[in-house]
Parts: sequence; structure tokens; C-alpha cells
Amino acid sequence: MPVFRWGQSWNPIRDLEREVDRLLHGMQLTLQTRSARQFPPVNLHEEPDRYVITAEVPGVELADLDLTAANGILTLKGVRNAPEEATDHSFRRQERFQGPWLRKLQLPDRILEDEMTADYSLGVLRVYLPKDTEESVRRIPVSDGATD
Amino acid sequence: MNEPAKYESGKQIPVSDTTSPQGEVTETPRLLFNPPIDIYETENGLVLYADLPGVSTENLELEVQDNRLALFGKVPSEDQSHGTLHREYEIGDFLRSFILSDDVDHERISARLTNGVLRVELPKNQKTEPRRISINVE
Repeated sequence: MPVFRWGQSWNPIRDLEREVDRLLHGMQLTLQTRSARQFPPVNLHEEPDRYVITAEVPGVELADLDLTAANGILTLKGVRNAPEEATDHSFRRQERFQGPWLRKLQLPDRILEDEMTADYSLGVLRVYLPKDTEESVRRIPVSDGATD
Repeated sequence: MNEPAKYESGKQIPVSDTTSPQGEVTETPRLLFNPPIDIYETENGLVLYADLPGVSTENLELEVQDNRLALFGKVPSEDQSHGTLHREYEIGDFLRSFILSDDVDHERISARLTNGVLRVELPKNQKTEPRRISINVE
């Protein structure tokens, strides 16, 4: 069971899509539509001391990758350029995604946002989110509203 | 290479080389994907791009046999021990093959793999001068 909501919880279509995907997964029908999905596809794994986000962004130059985290949202941004010498009418077949892309992902709770790291190799981006294991118990003072 | 071109895309192929010490065979089904491609024409011939994220040059096989170009990219399996909380893509190998037209110069095909994208140049045969055949009159 996921510990947190991924993306926008008020998007019922997305939830439905995911559920349908899950059902189709057993039949391997979704595998044929690799090129027709949201770019880039993203996975999230949990390890004992960290979470790992992986994204398939083949063909993106390292310099064109932009990762930012703010307010619990991780934003992955980049651009995938069309082959330089190709023109629109020279394509015989075009199945690969091209152009700018952006994904916003909700970060898990209780991670050390300042210690996030990322690496990129063979077209796969990995973002490491170390877990915050500190017990953070904060005492909240209660003021007596009756006294003046 | 044991002719991966025979496999159909999207089909699971059992890998049986993961024999555990006890002698029992644990078959891990591997997924096979049809990678998205671009093909466009240039002055010199055709250029092909294929998305192969996770494939390194050592794990990529590119083969021309007769007029068929086959690419097979192996992606190392992930450590499955950790929990997946969200999954949008599966790990698997890539396979796709193409029929080359007769005017592709097989000897001059070249390929490059950068950031998980394969680029293959398929140059046209160089134009040969028409050869005049002399006709002997008897």
C-alpha cells in the first residue's frame, strides 16, 4: 500500500488510469504503448534508509536536466531535442518523444530534503531521498484562553 | 548471439541461467520491449534513433544479416528486494528489427550510443558511373 498519495489526489482520471493500467499489466497490453505515455515514466522504490526515484529520460543531455525541490514537491524538468539535421518532412517514422518536459512529484514525508542527491547514466535518472529517522516530537504549548 | 530476432516483442522469455546452489532453477521472466524509434532521411542516407534507457554499449548487440538490421539491448535486472511504491515503467530488454532497402551500404553502417539513445547511420550506396558496354559487331 502506498504510504502517500502520488501526484494530485483530486485527479480521478489519473487514479482510474492507474487502476486500469494495473489490471492490464497482468495481460502485458500496456507494454506496447511505451512510446505513448507521459514523459518521462517514473518509478519509486523504498529502501531501508532512503527512497529512490528513477526516471527514464534517454537522450536528455545532463546539462538540460533541471531538478528542484520546494514545498514537498520535486520538479524534474528538461528538454529532449529533435535530431539536429532532421526536418519535419524528412521523417519517415517518428515515435520518440521530443520537446520540453516537466514532471512534478510529491515527495514522501519525513525525508531530508537538503540531503537529496541524484545521478544520471545511460539515460536513466536516479534521485535519492534519504529518510529522516530522527524522532521529532514537538511539544505544543497550550495557552489558557479563559484568563485575560 | 542466440538470434534474439526470433522473439516477438512484448513476449516474456524465460531466463534459465539463474540456477540456485540447491540445484533448483529459479526462472525469472524477462520482459522484452519494442523501443520507440525515429527514422529520417538525410542527403547521405537514413538515420535511425532508438530509445534504449539503461542499455550500455557492452549490452547492446547490433547485427545486419542479409537485409535485416536487428538491435537487441539488455538491461541489467534491478534489485527486487526493495519495495516498489509506484511504478510507471518496467525493466526489460529491447528488441527491434528492420528491413533495409537495397540501396543501404551495409559495409558503411555506423552506430553510436549516447545517454541511452542509439543512433545508427545507414548510408546510401555510392552512385556508380554508368558503365558502357561495348557491342561488338560481327
